[in-house]
Amino acid sequence: MHRLEKSFYSKTSMYSFLVLLVLFLSMWVATDQFLHIDMALLGYAISSAIFAVGLTIRMSFWLYRTATNRVASRSMKNLFTKERLKWSAKAVLITLVDNIILQKFIFKRGLYRGIQHLMISWGCLISFAITFGLTFGWMRFDLIDPETYQIVVFNIPTMKMAAHGLFAEIVYNGLNIGAIMVLIGASMALWRRISSYDVKVTQRFEFDILPLLILLSVTVTGLILTVLYTFFDGWMHHYMSLVHQVTVVIMLVYFPFGKLFHVPVRPLAAAVPMSYQEVVKVDTKTCKCCRQPYSNDDQIADVQAILQAQNFDLRLADGTQLSDYCTGCRRRMRALKQMNMEAPKGNPYGPVDTNNGIHLSGFSKKRSEEFYGIDIEQDYKGEKDSEPVSR
Amino acid sequence: MNKIMYLEFERCIGCRACQAACRECGDHDAKERNYVEYVDFTESRQTFPMLCMQCKDPACARVCPANAIQITEEGVVLSAMEEKCIGCRNCTFGCPFGIPKFDFEKNKMYKCDMCYDRTREGISPMCASVCPSDAIRFIDFDEMQELRRRRTQMNLIEGKKPQEGNKWDYVPEFFGVYTDSNQ
Repeated sequence: MHRLEKSFYSKTSMYSFLVLLVLFLSMWVATDQFLHIDMALLGYAISSAIFAVGLTIRMSFWLYRTATNRVASRSMKNLFTKERLKWSAKAVLITLVDNIILQKFIFKRGLYRGIQHLMISWGCLISFAITFGLTFGWMRFDLIDPETYQIVVFNIPTMKMAAHGLFAEIVYNGLNIGAIMVLIGASMALWRRISSYDVKVTQRFEFDILPLLILLSVTVTGLILTVLYTFFDGWMHHYMSLVHQVTVVIMLVYFPFGKLFHVPVRPLAAAVPMSYQEVVKVDTKTCKCCRQPYSNDDQIADVQAILQAQNFDLRLADGTQLSDYCTGCRRRMRALKQMNMEAPKGNPYGPVDTNNGIHLSGFSKKRSEEFYGIDIEQDYKGEKDSEPVSR
Repeated sequence: MNKIMYLEFERCIGCRACQAACRECGDHDAKERNYVEYVDFTESRQTFPMLCMQCKDPACARVCPANAIQITEEGVVLSAMEEKCIGCRNCTFGCPFGIPKFDFEKNKMYKCDMCYDRTREGISPMCASVCPSDAIRFIDFDEMQELRRRRTQMNLIEGKKPQEGNKWDYVPEFFGVYTDSNQ
């Protein structure tokens, strides 16, 4: 593998080449050595190849990130560990159904947003599946007798269907159904982006609105094509199909580099139940200070490793790291450090002397010095022990 | 015009007006993103406000596996982008100050964004605009320098000298050096 890598300009270019090679071979197999290739879709095929290369490059760079790499590699390891296989499979299944198929978490952010996102995502997934299936020739329809079509997948004849049956109609109109779904979803999203003051706080035109406009232009031009050939006898169809092709090419080339790149990022969500929540909402790692469970051991180990790999030195004097403390304790430690009220002398985990000589302490009662672990005798002698101790 | 968030923990009276104001801010979805906490509840009623430091090189963004935490050109560290955040909570553990909050229901992280829609226009953030005791202030860079000098002078007048353990008393904290768009 290392040798193979050396013969390329970079790892990323090797992966891109391999992806292109696989695509080409799959086309070669699926189209019966380019016998059944649909030349009308050549433009789409080339832009899909660019899309694949762009996606590979972005995915590679994303997976090289220290944090992503750590989380992803732990998940992969867990996935192939025998003892955890059952839980991992369940975690992947839960993520697939809840997060990706049903997108429950978006519905919890609002019904409007849920419907909007479900429409866009499923419309896109249907359209992408059909587009890639047809352009790369992975799927084609053979007419075996005047009334029957056969679906050929990867050059393997599969099911037959009546040319005018209900199923056939659904298959023919797959792209139209997808387009209508995207049209509804993207219009809803665009309306939300225009009308809601909340989303305007951090929204950027080129990141949040441009992808919606691109999706809308693809769907609208695609649907106009359908209207032209059904109601207008194909009037202007040829020109319109070119316009549609241009919009699709723009969308495919834009996909890996803009907001739409969140689609391939999503499956990493499986890592959360798989590696970090063996039992949902039960934490195992306890805070070094307050002893309350706040996280999972594996996760804290990962966070510390990621920080260390990026030269973040968040270690304290006693060897613990800041991530060994729960968030509440971390906030308190910072405030105390700044007010120079760090727990007190001798024992960094002891009670805090909040009596600063200006404000009376809460119960108007001065505690004895021993309570805070202060040894007056030693204080007078000027021993080092009585200096405030940091953790 | 350089604007700075200036915190003085000792001035906090624990009224939590900043938290109520935070809930009202645009895009905060009626959830407060700042903290008002007790130094040690069994000892005194002293509270302190806590906000995001808007780090230049934020640990939260570095530990995010989805690359979801972005920094604006003004230097504000934003909440995780909703479409990218996978809900792993690494940011809450990576942050050295324990700032990011996590919404388990909606499966996303949210954190102080210095009321981006306000500070972007040079308006003070919600928390600073309501704080009755000036524990949280949104002030000019020069004003902050003046406060620091005065504080050091006061310490010297009181006969205190900086030592290793309390040198921070003499260099009051400031954070979030903020460049305004009106510049």
